[in-house]
Amino acid sequence: MNKTVIEMRNIIKRYYIGQPNELQILNGISLDIHEHEFVSIVGQSGSGKSTLMNMIGALDRPTEGTYLLNGVDISTLDDYDLSQIRNQEIGFVFQTFNLISRTNALKNVEMPMMYAGIPRKQRLLRAMELLKIVGMEDRADHQPNELSGGQKQRVAIARAMANKPSILLADEPTGALDSKTGRMIMDLFHKLHDEEGTTIVLITHSNELAAETERIITISDGSVISDTGVKQA
Amino acid sequence: MNFIENLRLALTSIAANKMRSILTMLGIIIGISAVIMITTIGNSIQKTLMKTFNSIGNMNYFDIYANVTYGAHDENGEEISVNFKDEDLISRSMLDKLVETYPEYFYLNMTDSFGGFELKNWKNQTFKASIIGRMNVEGDNDIKFTRGRKINKSDNDLHKQVLNVSTLFVQQYLPPNADPIGQTVSTDMGDFVIVGVFELPAIYNKQIYQPGQKDIEKVTPVYIPYDTGMKLTYQENRYNYYADVYYYPEYDVDMLQGILEEFFKEEYKEKPYMNIFVESMQSQLGMINTVVNVITIAISVIAAISLIVGGVGVMNIMLVSITERTKEIGVRKALGAQNSAIRMQFVVEAILLCLIGGIIGIILGILGGMAIGFIAKLLVSQFYAEYAELFSITIQPSVPAILISVGFSVLTGVFFGYYPANKAAKMNPIDALRYD
Repeated sequence: MNKTVIEMRNIIKRYYIGQPNELQILNGISLDIHEHEFVSIVGQSGSGKSTLMNMIGALDRPTEGTYLLNGVDISTLDDYDLSQIRNQEIGFVFQTFNLISRTNALKNVEMPMMYAGIPRKQRLLRAMELLKIVGMEDRADHQPNELSGGQKQRVAIARAMANKPSILLADEPTGALDSKTGRMIMDLFHKLHDEEGTTIVLITHSNELAAETERIITISDGSVISDTGVKQA
Repeated sequence: MNFIENLRLALTSIAANKMRSILTMLGIIIGISAVIMITTIGNSIQKTLMKTFNSIGNMNYFDIYANVTYGAHDENGEEISVNFKDEDLISRSMLDKLVETYPEYFYLNMTDSFGGFELKNWKNQTFKASIIGRMNVEGDNDIKFTRGRKINKSDNDLHKQVLNVSTLFVQQYLPPNADPIGQTVSTDMGDFVIVGVFELPAIYNKQIYQPGQKDIEKVTPVYIPYDTGMKLTYQENRYNYYADVYYYPEYDVDMLQGILEEFFKEEYKEKPYMNIFVESMQSQLGMINTVVNVITIAISVIAAISLIVGGVGVMNIMLVSITERTKEIGVRKALGAQNSAIRMQFVVEAILLCLIGGIIGIILGILGGMAIGFIAKLLVSQFYAEYAELFSITIQPSVPAILISVGFSVLTGVFFGYYPANKAAKMNPIDALRYD
C-alpha cells in the first residue's frame, strides 16, 4: 500500500456554535487517501461535500477531530501555516476556473510559485512546462477572457500543479463545461494520474464521472455512507 | 513575493481602471499642488527679499543700541537712581578701542549725512548736492570709479578735505570735457578737492537722481572722509544711542556677538543702569526669513487638509476595489497567498495611487507657482517700473517641500490604504471564494 496522504479521524464541523441556529454539517467523518489514488467524493448538494472539500483543501479547520496531511495535523495550524499548506500541498481546480482576470495564462500559472517565493526565471520555465503538459503552450500570453471554458480549465489545472502538490483537489471541474470539453478535462485528469502519478480528489455530484475513478466515497448528511475502498494494485 | 512583483501587480490594477484611478488621485493632486504652489511662492518671496537686501550693500555688521534701564535695582533691592548723562552713551573712543582690541574681527565703516548745499556751476546755474561722510569708500565694491581714486583710510585718519563725486555731479558742475580731478568745490563746511569720480549704482539713478529733473529735492551725493566731516562740524566727540560695527564675514557671527557683548559689558561695568543691546543684521534678516517661513508653513498646513480629503477618497476607492475583487482575493488565498502578501498587494496599490497623484501634483504646483511668479513680475514691471530692478523676482520651488510632499503622499497611501488592505487580508478564503 502507498503512503497515506490524507488521514481524517472523526471530523466534525459545526457552524453558529452556541447559537440557537447551531448547525452540524459533518458528523464525524473518517477517511484515508493514499498517494497516487484517483478518488471521487460524491454527494447531493447539501450533503456536506463542499465543507469536506474545504477541510481537505486546508481552507477551513474542523471543529472536532484530527486531520493529518502528510503527517501534519492541520486542525491546529494558524492562518499563515494554512496558507503555506495550500500553497505547497494542495492544487485547487474550481468549477468556475477562477483564473485571475487581466493576467495572462502564463502569469496565472506562475502565481502559486510567486507566493512560494520561487525566482522569476525558474517560475517561467516551470510554467511553460506545465502549459505544455495541458496543451496550452501556444496560448501562454492570452488573457483569460480570450480563452474558451475548456482552455481556461486546462490553464487552471496547470496552475494547480505548479508547486507539485500532494493532492489535486478538483471541485466539479466539468460542471461549467459542455459534455465534449468536459470529456477532454476528464481525459487530462486521467493522463495526469497515469503519467505523472498525481493524487487526485474529484468532488462531484455526478455518478457517471465518479464511475471513471478508482474509488468512490459517497457522502450523505455529513457522513460517509459508502466507500468502494482502496484498489489493490 | 517581492516588492517589484507587487508594484507590477498594482500598476496593472491601476491601469485597468484608468478613469477611476485618475478621479481617485484628484484629491491628492489638488492637495499636493496647492502645497507646492504655496511653498514655491513663499520660497520665491524669501529669495527675492534676500537678493534685494544683499544688493543694498554690505550686510556684515552689528547694530549696537544703548538704552537706559529705569527702575533697575541694586543687590540690596534698592532702586538705582539714574543720573543719566550724554557721556553714558556710545562714544567714538569706545568704538576705536574695540577695533584696536580686535582688529582681526571688527572695523568701523561709519556713514553720516552732513546735509545738502547749493552751488553754482560754470554756467552760473544753481544745483544741489548732499555731502555724505564715508569712512570706507575703498571697501565698497558696488561703486564703480571712472576716474581718479577712492577716498581711503589715510584720507580719513588725516582729515583730508578730499571729495569723490558722481559722473552726474561732474556733468552738472563742469563744462564738457573738463578734467574734474583736482578741481575745488566750495561747501558750507569748507573747500574740498575732487580726487575721484564714480558711477552711481543704477537703482539710485532711477529712483532719485534723474538729471534735468525740476524737483529740487533730487540731489546729487558727494562723498567726503567721515572723520574730516566730523572734525569740520565739531562732532568728533559725539555720543550716540546707536552705532554700527562691521565684521569680517569669515568669522562666526555668534562668536563675534559674544565678544561684542562681553566688551560692552566691561565698558559699562560701572553703569548698571545702562543696557547695551547687540544685534547682527544677519539675525534681523533671519527674522524676516522666519516670518515668511511661518506664514508659508501655516498656509501649507491648511492646504494639506485637502490631502486628508484626498486620502479618504483613496480609502473609499480601495474599499470598493477589494469588494469588487473579493473573488480574486479568495482565489489568491486558495493558491497559497499569505495574509501579508494580500495586505502588501493592496497597500502598494494605494501607495502607488497616492505617489502618482503626488508627482502630478508636484508638477502642477511648480507650474502654478511659476505662473503666479510670472504674473507678479509682469505686474511689477508694468506698474512699478522703477522697482523692477530692485525687486527682480526669483521663482524657485522649495526642494524640501517637494521631498516632504513625496513622503507625505506615500504616508497617505500607507495610512488610508492599510485599513482596506487589512480587510482584504483578513477575509475568510471560503467566503471570498463563494462571493459573486
